[in-house]
Amino acid sequence: MTSWQPTPALVRACLLGIGGVGFGIVLGQEVLAVLCAPFVVLAAVGLAGRPRGRPEVTARLDHRRLHEGQGTTSRLEVDDLAGVEHVTRVAARAAHVASQPTYGAVGSLVTGGLPTIGFSPRRWGRRAVGAESVALTSQWAGWRWGPVHLPETSLVVQPMTAPYDSRAEVPQPDGLVGRHRSRRVGSGTEFEGIRLFATGDRLKRINWPVSLRTGELHVVTTRAEQDAGVWLVVDALRDIGVSGGIDGHASTLDLTVRAAAALAEHHVRTGDRVGLLVVAANGARVRLGSGPRHLQRLLGTLARIRTDARSVPPERLDLGTESGSVVHVLSPMLSTPLVTAAASLQRGGTSLVVVDTIGDALTTDDDANRLALPTLAMRMQKVERDDRLRRLAALGAPVVAWHGPGTLDTVLQQLARRAQVPRVRA
Amino acid sequence: MRVLRQGISPPVVVLRALLLVLPCSALALALPEVPDGLVVTAVVLSTAGWAWFPDHAVGVAPLALVAGWWAVHGVVDWRLLVVGVLLVAAHVAATLLSYGPATLAVDPRLARLWVGRGLLALVPLPVTWLAVRALDPALAPSWLWLLTGATVVGLLLVTARLTRPETR
Repeated sequence: MTSWQPTPALVRACLLGIGGVGFGIVLGQEVLAVLCAPFVVLAAVGLAGRPRGRPEVTARLDHRRLHEGQGTTSRLEVDDLAGVEHVTRVAARAAHVASQPTYGAVGSLVTGGLPTIGFSPRRWGRRAVGAESVALTSQWAGWRWGPVHLPETSLVVQPMTAPYDSRAEVPQPDGLVGRHRSRRVGSGTEFEGIRLFATGDRLKRINWPVSLRTGELHVVTTRAEQDAGVWLVVDALRDIGVSGGIDGHASTLDLTVRAAAALAEHHVRTGDRVGLLVVAANGARVRLGSGPRHLQRLLGTLARIRTDARSVPPERLDLGTESGSVVHVLSPMLSTPLVTAAASLQRGGTSLVVVDTIGDALTTDDDANRLALPTLAMRMQKVERDDRLRRLAALGAPVVAWHGPGTLDTVLQQLARRAQVPRVRA
Repeated sequence: MRVLRQGISPPVVVLRALLLVLPCSALALALPEVPDGLVVTAVVLSTAGWAWFPDHAVGVAPLALVAGWWAVHGVVDWRLLVVGVLLVAAHVAATLLSYGPATLAVDPRLARLWVGRGLLALVPLPVTWLAVRALDPALAPSWLWLLTGATVVGLLLVTARLTRPETR
């Protein structure tokens, strides 16, 4: 059990002060008494400064949910600071979490306020922070309470939404409201054409310049605006490469998760309904939904993704998609079954876009030995992957490498044009 | 090439170096008289250990050895004052380092506070030095020694009582 314990400094002062002076006088060693006299002062004030309280020490984080790169502060709370002069905190190191001060050790006099520690997670996921040791020291460094070990707390770190924006429309919007232009005429704001006035038309839609010029009443027609269903399929079967957090190299899973977060935020912001399917050992599925609360649910699900060696690729992607939904498969495309499942979706008539998140995981250094076993294995992986992607593209599924803003613009515009072409089924 | 261990700030290194140098310098003040090799070895080794672990009881050893050597040789000249200052400075440096691990930066406010405390603790040094030089112990009445002995025993008992861990 924690209690106030004398510090080595006090023990030293007591031994030298009281012992040295006492024995110096008793044994007639006056030089010893002279040299040890200053320690009598240090020992006396140290002993006298013993605090009587039994402080309770707790720490709390300002935030429990952050994005990568954001920061929070851990604040200490001590219920009884009577007699306490100095507080020292030493935080344990946590993977992918930067701290301020860098090595997690901070101390300050109580008169200057209790010391705080800043934490900044550098990678998405669940991060355990806040495990620390706290020591309270009395006046003249005589007594010490602790170190008290405080438990860690879990911090949910949502992926940083990579800068992404798209001006392209979703190919087949199917909802009732939204910002996408519908193929049907309706009461939107997007101009569709001008036609003769008919019974039931609203008077405010009359186009007076055309009506005056032609002598007959004409009205402006507009297109309805609709939302779209967008499914994000996230491949979390493997994580290739070493993640350096937001400041360093991105692994394939980093790219995948950040791209998914960016797409989710973009589509939710434009009023679309977004669903999520995580392909992993602890796979998750979030149904189509919209709004800021739904976006938080999507980001929270992405933050919980973990790769597992036992992960088994699915035979098929069961999204239960409605007609008109668009499916973005975000994957480094290293797993044949997943590619097959994506191809099945494409054959089923779903608008499918494969977002390639391999990044530079399969690139080799120029000076690497081309015949070394790891280099050869990597090249073989690359050849097989290129072949898979080629076959997927041959089926009509566009494959685009993720590179932030505008990644999907061209592809989505082409898909939208394709969706407007009448289909003849055999 | 990195000279310092990761996370250790230069002030901490300076304080540790002082911890190593100060007790050795206090012994070196005896030159040209060379202390016994065993004493020198013991002081250097214990000081090195103290510099490595400032928050350890081993710190008593170099201070006691140096003070003991000067006491045995009965030198009461100006060097005694310097030795006293060096020993207190070493104690203060070790105390400053003992507030946390090596990666804890030295707080300037705390350092200033302890410099003041060190100076305050040095006040009895010249007083006792002058007393030792000016007063003849042979003239002191015998009851004074008895009283001093009783006081020391009393102080030791009080210290032992105060430093006993609380039992609740």
